Amino acid sequence: MYKNKKTGIIGIIITIIILILVVILSNTDIQKVSYLENVLSSIVMPIQNGLTYLKNKIAGNDSFFKELESLKSENESLKQKNSELEQSLRELEIIKSENQTLKEYVNLKDKYPEYQSIPAYIINRDINNFTKTIIINVGEKDGIKPKMTVIADQGLVGYVISVTANTAKVQTIIDPSTSVSSIISTSREGIIVSGTLESNNLLKATYIPTDATILEKDNIETSGLGGIYPKGIHIGIIKQVVNTQNSIDRYAYVETAVDFSKLETVLVITNQVEE
Amino acid sequence: MKKIITAIGIIITFFIIYFLQSNFFTWFTINGVMPNLFVIFVLWIGLFIGKKVGLVCGIIFGIYIDFLIGKSIGMSGVMLGLIGLLAEYVDKNFSKDSRLTIMLMIAVSTIIYEIGMYAFQVIRWSINIEILTFLKILLIESLFNVILSIILYPIIHKLGSLVERQFKTKTILTRYY
Repeated sequence: MYKNKKTGIIGIIITIIILILVVILSNTDIQKVSYLENVLSSIVMPIQNGLTYLKNKIAGNDSFFKELESLKSENESLKQKNSELEQSLRELEIIKSENQTLKEYVNLKDKYPEYQSIPAYIINRDINNFTKTIIINVGEKDGIKPKMTVIADQGLVGYVISVTANTAKVQTIIDPSTSVSSIISTSREGIIVSGTLESNNLLKATYIPTDATILEKDNIETSGLGGIYPKGIHIGIIKQVVNTQNSIDRYAYVETAVDFSKLETVLVITNQVEE
Repeated sequence: MKKIITAIGIIITFFIIYFLQSNFFTWFTINGVMPNLFVIFVLWIGLFIGKKVGLVCGIIFGIYIDFLIGKSIGMSGVMLGLIGLLAEYVDKNFSKDSRLTIMLMIAVSTIIYEIGMYAFQVIRWSINIEILTFLKILLIESLFNVILSIILYPIIHKLGSLVERQFKTKTILTRYY
């Protein structure tokens, strides 16, 4: 297609650069590109400052600028203090991350003392855009069986669908084919929450009883029906209630308690299958 | 001997693609959407080696992927096998020497593969059809695959021509393009 080799290589390099830019921009939180904001505002802001200064001079309210020097020195000392604080914060972050995993296990044990559980790490995530399964590093040798519930510090993760000797495949609650029988913790009304393609932290709550009161920020937990998940495990909170013309069809979006994009450690409940 | 080396090369490439897909491309995404390198790989096999090898490799690789991470066994195998099979029919009508036709073939194969996989999910698991979200993901994924095919085209073409000489005794003369 290209007329010569050189043009072809340039074309490939340009495509790689475009791809990297697209990937970075599409995954970046707008707030994180404040440096770009700095660059753009540095073009406009000096002129804007000058104009404001002139305006204040003309209006006669320029007393603020007399204190500019003292403010500058104060700013410098504050910057110094800030960098010292940032240093100590970094040290604390290291200590915090070292303790994080152990803390999660302790929290989980405290939260659900009635369940025997095995800790596990996530070793692989799904390679498909339409399914959301994970692989954990415990298997048959560790006593893991299909249909065992998997939880994390914040709440429900999913259930084991298959096991090998050393690994287990877990179908998460955000997978579009997962439906969990749940209850609204305040009104105790039963609903069904299912995974969606749309987001990795949103579930769709359906089959909401017509007379049920459902409000944003209501907690959702497992109902214990269905034979897979035990009762009372936290799923998430109601984020948005969507009312339709027919109240039977109304639905709600549930924000999962577990942040699946950052999930690294889980617990497999081992004693609920026999119950 | 050369054929054995090629076969080993194909298996190694499959594992490299698997690790790229499950590690690198889980964060190197466009708006959270991953590309599908397996489709490109199986299409390449079908185009340059032949439909039988494409079909067999597609089925084996697909089943292997299903065993590793899938919820049910077989569907990836069927769809990847279909891509491998389609490749040679496409080869009869379009030239592999054109970057544009390779890009189009990859886009169409990605669309066929993902529609098949999603339709299977809808039937097998009775999931709610989210047509707009599905189309959005499908569009981004196809675009991602096309961009990768632009980058990988020299490798695709060079290695393809190399293996084609080993496996295909008769070269297909393209009719139209």
